Amino acid sequence: MKNIRRRNRKRSKPAEDIDRRRDAGKTKITQRDDGELDFFRRRAMYSSVLLITFFAILVTRLWYLQIQQGEQYKKLAENNRVRYLEVAAPRGNILDRKGREIVTNRPSFNVVWVREDNRLDDELIKKMARILDVDVSELLVKIRKMAGTPGHIPIRLAEDIDWDKVAYVENNRMELPGIKIEVVPLRVYHYGNMASHVIGYLGEINKKDLQKDKSGVYRGGDMIGKMGLERLREEDLRGEKGRNYMEVNALGFEQRNLKGTAPLPGNDLQLTLDVDMQRAAEEIMMSEKKSGAVVAIEVNTGRLLMLASLPVLELDKFIGGISHKNWKEMLDNPYHPLMNKLVQGQYPPASTYKIVTAIAGLAEGVIDADTIIYCPGYYRFGNRTYRCWKHSGHGAVDLKRALAESCDVYFYQVGQRLGVNRLASYAVRLGLGRKTGVEMEHEKGGLIPTADWKMKRYGKPWQEGETLSVAIGQGFDLVTPVQLALMTATVANGGTLYKPSLIETVRDPDGRIIEQFEPVVLGRFTGQEHNLKLVRDGLIEAVNGRHGTGRRARLKNITVAGKTGTAQVVRLKQYKHLKEEDIPYKYRDHAWFTCFAPAENPEIAVTVLVEHGLHGGSGAAPVARAVLEKYFADRLQDPDEVTTVILPGRLLADFDSPQSASATAPTN
Amino acid sequence: MLRFDRRLIHHFDWVMLLMLGLVSAMSLANLFSSTWSGGPDPSAIFYKQLYIFLFGFALILILISIDYKELEKLGYLGYVATCALLLYTNLFVSNIAGTQRWINLGFFHLQPSEPAKLILVLVLASVYSRSDVGGKGYGLMDLIKPGILTAVPFVLILIQPDLGTALMLAILFVSMTLFVKLRWSTMGILGGVGVVGAVLGWKFGLKDYQHRRIETFLNPESDPMNHGYQITQSKIAVGSGQGFGKGFMEGTQGHLHFLPERHTDFAFSVWCEEWGFAGSLFFLSCYFFMLLWGINIALSARDKFGVLLAFGLVMLIFWQAVINLFMIMGFLPVVGIPLPLFSYGGSSLLTTLVAIGILMNIRMRRYQSQ
Repeated sequence: MKNIRRRNRKRSKPAEDIDRRRDAGKTKITQRDDGELDFFRRRAMYSSVLLITFFAILVTRLWYLQIQQGEQYKKLAENNRVRYLEVAAPRGNILDRKGREIVTNRPSFNVVWVREDNRLDDELIKKMARILDVDVSELLVKIRKMAGTPGHIPIRLAEDIDWDKVAYVENNRMELPGIKIEVVPLRVYHYGNMASHVIGYLGEINKKDLQKDKSGVYRGGDMIGKMGLERLREEDLRGEKGRNYMEVNALGFEQRNLKGTAPLPGNDLQLTLDVDMQRAAEEIMMSEKKSGAVVAIEVNTGRLLMLASLPVLELDKFIGGISHKNWKEMLDNPYHPLMNKLVQGQYPPASTYKIVTAIAGLAEGVIDADTIIYCPGYYRFGNRTYRCWKHSGHGAVDLKRALAESCDVYFYQVGQRLGVNRLASYAVRLGLGRKTGVEMEHEKGGLIPTADWKMKRYGKPWQEGETLSVAIGQGFDLVTPVQLALMTATVANGGTLYKPSLIETVRDPDGRIIEQFEPVVLGRFTGQEHNLKLVRDGLIEAVNGRHGTGRRARLKNITVAGKTGTAQVVRLKQYKHLKEEDIPYKYRDHAWFTCFAPAENPEIAVTVLVEHGLHGGSGAAPVARAVLEKYFADRLQDPDEVTTVILPGRLLADFDSPQSASATAPTN
Repeated sequence: MLRFDRRLIHHFDWVMLLMLGLVSAMSLANLFSSTWSGGPDPSAIFYKQLYIFLFGFALILILISIDYKELEKLGYLGYVATCALLLYTNLFVSNIAGTQRWINLGFFHLQPSEPAKLILVLVLASVYSRSDVGGKGYGLMDLIKPGILTAVPFVLILIQPDLGTALMLAILFVSMTLFVKLRWSTMGILGGVGVVGAVLGWKFGLKDYQHRRIETFLNPESDPMNHGYQITQSKIAVGSGQGFGKGFMEGTQGHLHFLPERHTDFAFSVWCEEWGFAGSLFFLSCYFFMLLWGINIALSARDKFGVLLAFGLVMLIFWQAVINLFMIMGFLPVVGIPLPLFSYGGSSLLTTLVAIGILMNIRMRRYQSQ
């Protein structure tokens, strides 16, 4: 406006008229024209408000995106740009007490696909199906299973592929965007299925475990311990995954590698188990198709030297997830391979329980070493007759003979003198009737009955006659093989109850010891040294005496002390007069043998349970002997002689031994 | 005709030249980064744009020596020529990316819809500066001539189909018509017609892909990987620049190809990513100062045609910029509107440089007698 006025003023002096006239010839300038020009200029000025407003909106928006939300968008840009692959860590190794490898790892190769922004490329899938020699639908199933997981998590298309395929994929990587070879350590079992119930197995993590997992280290497809130490020691064994970071472009092609972290292997577990003993027990049990459990324990520490549950689990059936068919087969198997009989199997302790009855009787003073009880082959109580396994009777027996020859009548009377509650209190002090806390899953506590227990459980008072059954380990009594081993070890070591343990050391990958075995004392059975010695003498006689029931566990240079047991499964009249070979398998008696050695200065206790093995002396004692032979291998002079020369002679001797001829009674 | 006045040099628009120089430098730097492919040399695209810049600056020199009054006459000639070219492309040019937009001139692919915007501004400025409607403002009948002048290129561009550019023509028509006075009744009727037209257009006029684009914009989650993808990636690029950016040539969204059309429609996303809020603010300040300077040129113009023309040219740049920036920042769906002077594309760049040349022309002649 000012300009115009100024201009008009300047011109107005001399040439005003001429100018006016000339302009008028060209365009008409009227007063209204000037007004309209001013109107337009005003409007132009207003329009600058429009510009400034939009400028303000844009700057505000930029502020919002770049400053307010900048951090978040930066992360999104990083997520765009940076992909990582998790690198599975090798699980910790599992070693035996001498450092021999039981379970280690080997590398296996998987083909994975890293999704690029969920764009499913049909061509790529077809190509991969051809390369991997599988159906497209099979791959699609795997991809769909991972739907909804973050895109940078690879989808496993094939596992443990052979070298040719690995090489092919690596050589053609430019045509296969997002396809990677993943190296994953796989478990190697150096001794096959040995100790499989203790070691356990791995399986792919399931949805439920993934949801429960609070550590956040697991992804779909990860392997996780499903049973045994693999499960219980998962945190030690799993290690830490590594990450490979890489920068990718929008097409998913790797641009360059960024720094990553290497996987940290898991901790190594050194077990207290001894491979030689473990194999000896499993082999002898398997060679005779026996099912059951074998335990060996160091009596002065609680270290478990071997732990076998039979039949063993076939671990290869669990690799990559067990099939429904295999699972059903195992469930229906009459030998119950899925059950860890060491701690989950509860059996009547039978005659092995006489050790407890003897200790209780001595401690409570109802008998002493010289107490003589006459056994006519039966014992009348009330209006019932309780039989001894030896129908002809043992005659006059003292404690030593009663234990050696397993006289039922003797212990009926000791039990009767004690009463059920006093007897039970000693059983519990010796580690029975409660969980031992050993590192195995679903441990059962067994059962040591009392009068109160029966009232609570059945609402009926205790019958004194029941005490007689309980005193010889029948009736309500139930123990697990590990409990019985613990009891035996406690008797052997003079009364200290050590917690059974199976971890010697846990070492981190640098070899530093994280956890070291220390004996844990669960309880002490004090003031009974003399009584325990008396019982031990009986047990020595049981193995070494002329009429001992456990003679098949004898060793040449080492004194073994032990007790047999034959646990009744059912008492059915229809089977009473059958030959035992004709009794259906599942109704046959269980065979026990529990022992320790050397008797003078005990080191090891071994407990053997053979399910439906008929007689402790014949069914279970030889297994214990095989284990002891391995343990004392270097102390047994000329071990070849022991096994090859003496054994046939002993077998002949066994035909003359009393219990092989007297196989009709339920308990020996 | 070529009365050369010493005052022209005296009144040369140094401010506009400075702003243009700044914006052009930033534009070229950004293009260098966004098209760099790893080697030691700039890309061919960069050189191409550089030559067009140089050519455009030369064109400006020629342009400012002609009085814009003369352009008024050239405008109608240009209008006829442009419409003819548009018709030609519609009839004879084979599809590029589903649309018929470019004419191959051998050395240059001309996109006639770009100069069409400029020509329309020129023609409308001429028409509105010559009609005399008195104080009441324009009525419906007065709009027939400018309406038809807009409708012809609008329809020709719409059927290419290039919805974005066609809408730009409509927006320019509306801006300039509202700028000259419009009767309230006329405004009401036109508003009603506009709404009905938009509804009918949505139902019957738009292609499927255009539907999808708008739907995607309204609900980006519905299609995050295709149409929503571009907007999402652009927002990520802009936002991740944060306060001071990732640095020149350091943007990951652009360089790793996450950003689509990173040297054309989404060029400014690259700038925002690499220079952050500070750089973006600096650019926008220069850009909008340039536009405000254009408004200043309008209000200092010596006649109605000058005011209208300057205003129209500012609107031409302004609306394209706003639409493009709104798209980049996630306010609008993906429409193929470039950021003038900043997006790669010869036709658009030349058109914008010519527009700025004309603005400088008007500025230089603000004191001249008529």
